[in-house]
Amino acid sequence: MTESVPGDGLALRIRGLRKRYGSVVALDGLDLSVPSGLVYGFLGPNGAGKTTTMRVLVGLIHADGGTIDMLGRPVSHFDRHRLFDVGALIEAPSFYPYLSGRRNLQALAASGARVRRGRIDELLELVALRDRAGDRVSTYSMGMKQRLGIAGALLSDPQLLLLDEPANGLDPAGIVAMRDTLRRLASAGKTVFVSSHILGEVRQLADVVGIIAAGRLVRESAMDVLLRDSGQVRVRVPADRLGQARAALATFGDVADGPPDDGHAWLSVPVGRDIAADVTRILADAGIYLSGLETEGDLETLFLELTGGQQTAGPAPAPDSPAHGGAV
Amino acid sequence: MRLLLDDLGRLARRPATWVSYGLVVGLMVFVFVVIGATANSLPDRAGGGQAALSVLTFPGAYDSVLAFLIGIGTLLAVVYGAAVAGSEWNWGTLKNAIARGESRAGYVTALFGAVAVVLAVGLVVAMAIGVVAAAVGATMAGLSTTGLGDATYLGALPEKLARGWLGVAEAAAIGFAIATLARSQLAGIGVGIATYFGEQFSTIFFPDIVKFLPFHAAEAAVGLSQSGGVTVGNGGVQDAARLAPDVALVVVLCWLAGALVVGALVTRRAEITG
Repeated sequence: MTESVPGDGLALRIRGLRKRYGSVVALDGLDLSVPSGLVYGFLGPNGAGKTTTMRVLVGLIHADGGTIDMLGRPVSHFDRHRLFDVGALIEAPSFYPYLSGRRNLQALAASGARVRRGRIDELLELVALRDRAGDRVSTYSMGMKQRLGIAGALLSDPQLLLLDEPANGLDPAGIVAMRDTLRRLASAGKTVFVSSHILGEVRQLADVVGIIAAGRLVRESAMDVLLRDSGQVRVRVPADRLGQARAALATFGDVADGPPDDGHAWLSVPVGRDIAADVTRILADAGIYLSGLETEGDLETLFLELTGGQQTAGPAPAPDSPAHGGAV
Repeated sequence: MRLLLDDLGRLARRPATWVSYGLVVGLMVFVFVVIGATANSLPDRAGGGQAALSVLTFPGAYDSVLAFLIGIGTLLAVVYGAAVAGSEWNWGTLKNAIARGESRAGYVTALFGAVAVVLAVGLVVAMAIGVVAAAVGATMAGLSTTGLGDATYLGALPEKLARGWLGVAEAAAIGFAIATLARSQLAGIGVGIATYFGEQFSTIFFPDIVKFLPFHAAEAAVGLSQSGGVTVGNGGVQDAARLAPDVALVVVLCWLAGALVVGALVTRRAEITG
């Protein structure tokens, strides 16, 4: 299930994590290997155990079994200091509604690891809340609260950042800004662990993906490997050569017909996009010259296959993050 | 200390702090001024007018003010303690601190410490305002205020205030523990109020047991005389049902410590899923 992932060393290593709420099994022997210095996308349908995993990691709930190594140290329930190097935003961001955004960050900074002077101003600037920093949080929009929550997670300049659905409530510009910020953090050597149900978002953001279903890991892989192994290539061929093209491409598997298109027709080959060069070569060898080619890394199809067809909770992709790959 | 100072700053900005405080002080000023304005016109049946005047007569008026503050203060303290502890669960702010590696028991203890400091400052300031209100009431009633400077009373006042503070803090700790058990601000406040009034009603049926319960013990610990004081809540408690002040103080400390231990243990063991 776990494939080789890029990066040296693991920021987070989970083995056999189990958690049960009464008769409901939330985590059923979960294994995860999160490499250091990368963005790790943690995907799963509703109820798969994503938030439960996050809660265990930050000590909000206790696991029934399993081991966790965090930033190179085994985690025990009583070792709360391990969280001094971790920043987290779990579920909806939580604040004192009667305090300002700045004062809320100050309240947060009074707990856990010490926060250096000036850090709060830096973070307010980073999440574009400086102008509203003095206003009560009760007057903030959901997106503003989410941004403040991300600022809170970054307070102690953590080595490992755990974010649960960080794009919730953010507008398109906010999503792009968040993505840039998280990518920048990963570039700086931080590890970013992001749970999400927005596949398009994870696809654009994550270097490595772990997909869980029913409390178990069903696939863990580098994103490019995952996309290479999934998806399809679509080609536009002359309508009068459709039969020949279909026969030539049959070596790749089931070829599906697409809609007619102005004297041409589209064919879909269910293989990863790295195969696009082979597709063009085979068609050219058969004397068929295509007039269009699109690759689609179909994370959604793979996700549905791996999770037994369970739907993700939210609507799909962010406005600026189409599910399909770019045309070539 | 970092947490305690921050908690103090937060509580000072919290509307509930000022609403609770305003309620106590406003009611107290109103009561003493009204007594002063009406004492001489009250019919003296059953000593009503005389009793009203004795409430405003210094130095006994110091006890009247303190009795009022402890009586209504314990009720509001249980509500305030529940509001502060319960909101940590309702707003999810406890979760934030734990996720940053803060000690659960330490967090709860610091938060209660801040509540206790707010109550101490509030009690001292309210006492001062109450004394002024009683003096105004006494003047309106045509009474002399020469007893204001009575050295014996003033000498005993700090200890009485300290005992009163422990009683009010104990009530807040009870509310704090209830809200922590309920993990809810509203449930904590509701159950806290019910506990307070439940204890008052229990006086009728279990007078020998009730004296050991938190609100009765809090009042008894101050050691105020029961004649002529303006009391709220436990004013009907008979002398026979009261603990001696020092015994009551021990009982108060037991309730206070017990409530804090319950709050800390429950928080420490809690699975935070909300």
